[in-house]
Amino acid sequence: MKSGSNLEKVLEGGYFAVTAEVGPPKGALSTVIKRKGELLKFHCDAMNVTDNQTAIVRMSSWSGCILLKEMGIDPVMQMVVRDRNRIAIQSDILGAVALGIRNILCLSGDHQKFGNHPTAKGVYDIDSIQLIQTLKTMRDDRKFMCGEDLSGELPIYIGAVENPFADPFEYRVHRLAKKVKAGADFIQTQAVFDVKKFSKWMDMVRDHGLDKQVHILAGIIPIKSVGMARYMRDNVSGISVPDEIVIRMEEAKDAKEEGVKIAIEIIEQLKEIEGIHGIHIMAVAWEDIVPLIVERAGLLPRPIL
Amino acid sequence: MIVTKRRDFNKLKENINRHKTVFLLGCSECAALCGTGGEPELKEMKGLLEAEGKEVTGLIAVKSGCQVLGTKLELKPFKEAINKADCIIVMSCGAGTQTAAELFEDKPVYPANNTMYLGNMTRFQVFDERCSLCGECILDMTGGICPITRCAKGLLNGPCGGSQAGKCEISPDMTCAWQLIIERLSKTGAFKRLEEIIPPKNWNQIPTRKPDKRGK
Repeated sequence: MKSGSNLEKVLEGGYFAVTAEVGPPKGALSTVIKRKGELLKFHCDAMNVTDNQTAIVRMSSWSGCILLKEMGIDPVMQMVVRDRNRIAIQSDILGAVALGIRNILCLSGDHQKFGNHPTAKGVYDIDSIQLIQTLKTMRDDRKFMCGEDLSGELPIYIGAVENPFADPFEYRVHRLAKKVKAGADFIQTQAVFDVKKFSKWMDMVRDHGLDKQVHILAGIIPIKSVGMARYMRDNVSGISVPDEIVIRMEEAKDAKEEGVKIAIEIIEQLKEIEGIHGIHIMAVAWEDIVPLIVERAGLLPRPIL
Repeated sequence: MIVTKRRDFNKLKENINRHKTVFLLGCSECAALCGTGGEPELKEMKGLLEAEGKEVTGLIAVKSGCQVLGTKLELKPFKEAINKADCIIVMSCGAGTQTAAELFEDKPVYPANNTMYLGNMTRFQVFDERCSLCGECILDMTGGICPITRCAKGLLNGPCGGSQAGKCEISPDMTCAWQLIIERLSKTGAFKRLEEIIPPKNWNQIPTRKPDKRGK
């Protein structure tokens, strides 16, 4: 075992994993995290805590992770390279591991221009692939980026993200290969709505033999309303929502129920794709629906281990 | 060239509030090409300042404001005009303004321009950022297109998940630098290079962060 985290045990044990995303509050109320923890605890194997998502200042990912950890939940600490240089990154990793965090997800981060501090200086001292490499070197060689030794062990399970719906489509698999080469143990993808395109990407992933080297968890975002479907289709870069999904939402009598149905159908289809080892549910501002989706998709009991 | 843009005139007016007389120093290189510091702009500035009740004691667009010794020589004939001025307004880049500060120790200097970036003029007075002056060129690995400068996140191993139809997530007017790099390396038969991980950069190659070369 590289980290001994629950997520690692589930994935390495060959089980189909379920992870869920928790957005921290714009404030210091620990109860917000605890409430989401209670809600999702028995409906997933590990919980991601986002790191100032969309560049909006929120409670830090590591502190959210600690609050979940105290509840017996296996947290996944998201870490973006937008806000920290290599000194702060490595220091925060040491601190996170010292406090019991075992899964770390490496991301570039949404550009600061999108957030509530658009005049901030973006750091980007290293990029997400170099962050993966840094974590692997710290864990396996016990060395910092500079080459100096770090003391003791650093048990971490290294995660990365991939967006099969970004362009250029043909290059995405090569970038995934770079992440695997850098040391990613698991991948959480951008939300899948266009299963056909996602399958095509998975074909390429298998052609490159990457499904044998890394565990891929496909992203799910439950759609709450017609407005949300349209907004994601038209305004969210990196998300591809086919018209037929928007039309289904428009024609549905009960939009929320339709959103749940769509999520479950997508999960069913993803489960059939060779090389998909789990799903990652990002119920942005609709965490309450996750238990129902997990239950109706036949993914209980959770955590599976 | 170093691309400059005119600063807000009201801010400049505030800067020179307490001064009555002004000497104008322009530059015939980049600032002239940018339309921010050549002869015509100096004359325009003179008119603006006079309308504000200031006296302009003299003006010149030197050959290149970033050449300290050359500028010193060129300004010799303007000694009297400069002496008469309460301050110098410099219509060049930040380097030129600092040339004036270095040459005239007891004279206040004020920039008329904001210094934007090192870029190319792609059409007449249309500029695109091209280089971040990082001190460690990686263009050999990226097909001659700089991601440090042209990718919004400066990613060395892009593109990120926000690249859509060749455009950057931060603006539909911004081309994704990594899309360009991938296209170019594919065309030149160097696609393999895209499979290599570009290592973290040494950001402290920047010469200006090193001690003053003249060891003053």
